[in-house]
Amino acid sequence: MSRSDLTAGGGLPPARPSQPAQLADVLERVLDKGIVIAGDIKIDLLDIELLTVRLRLLVASADKAKEMGIDWWEGDPFLSRDGRDNRALERRLRRLESAAGLGEDEE
Amino acid sequence: MIAAPETTAWYVYGVVDASAKIGADQLRLIGEGPLAAVVSEVPLSEFGEEELAQRLNDRAWLEEHARAHEDVLQRLAAVAAVVPFRFGAIYRELDDVSVLLRERRGELSAALERVRGRIELGVKAWADRDRFEAALGDALPEPSSGRAYLERRRTEHERAGRVGAQLGDIARDAHARLLRHAVEGVANRPHPRELTGRDEAMILNGAYLVADGDEALAGEAAALDAEHGARGIAFEVTGPWPPHNFVEPRDEV
Repeated sequence: MSRSDLTAGGGLPPARPSQPAQLADVLERVLDKGIVIAGDIKIDLLDIELLTVRLRLLVASADKAKEMGIDWWEGDPFLSRDGRDNRALERRLRRLESAAGLGEDEE
Repeated sequence: MIAAPETTAWYVYGVVDASAKIGADQLRLIGEGPLAAVVSEVPLSEFGEEELAQRLNDRAWLEEHARAHEDVLQRLAAVAAVVPFRFGAIYRELDDVSVLLRERRGELSAALERVRGRIELGVKAWADRDRFEAALGDALPEPSSGRAYLERRRTEHERAGRVGAQLGDIARDAHARLLRHAVEGVANRPHPRELTGRDEAMILNGAYLVADGDEALAGEAAALDAEHGARGIAFEVTGPWPPHNFVEPRDEV
């Protein structure tokens, strides 16, 4: 039996009616936003090949946009508080540190 | 006596007030002080460390469970203020969930106050570049010679840059106008065509925090759509979403 308990709760009202959300919108929010909690099952979303491809696409869009001249949200601290690159680098650094036995294994 | 090996773990969706009434069979509230974590029991056969690493690369599994995570948060947001967690907060022991709530109470409480009574709306702007260029009205003459062809290529290149800059200005202005009707807002990276599967280019991917029931932002998006529609630029509102974009601590800088 394939049991998937990560399901909608029984007694809650149904999600507000709207057209089914685009997967990219859901993944962007669910995998890249929200409060980051390091539970005790280690999960590194950056290690997801599929996600890495998707994130790469998201990042690649910046270059593409630059080509098109619509990179307006880049480098504008008022408009963009996008710390994605820094966060990704930080996570990578943390992983390397812990692999090298440096730093504390924290969230 | 050997303890039975644990076969399940606790998946945490987010945090609500300890007093929140969410009455849902498959969800449990783990209260600690003023806060409560919303959790469900998940099988380690799927959510164990190694199993998860594999499942996450299974496109169908990832989509199903990312949507399930979102669905729970949507339903919670309809009845309570909720602080969404990122996908994949999993604990073996419920006690550790309580520890989390205790240790990060300040941050989580602040996030809860920030989003209380508010919803997240998404606004995207899509540009049909051909229509936009056509609306600019400076059609290029057909090249009649090799030299004319090269000149035309150069003109096209220059025009592409000009068009891009104009689209950028439109998106920037639209975001600024939308911000005036929002408590907070952020312009995220537009998704590339490989993700959207649409012919139009996404030029704005904004998320806005607005008071629940406040129609002003949606109205502004509709006004923008009416203003720019004839030029091939459409504005689209998505949501309401749980406030994913507005719970991380604000940047210091």
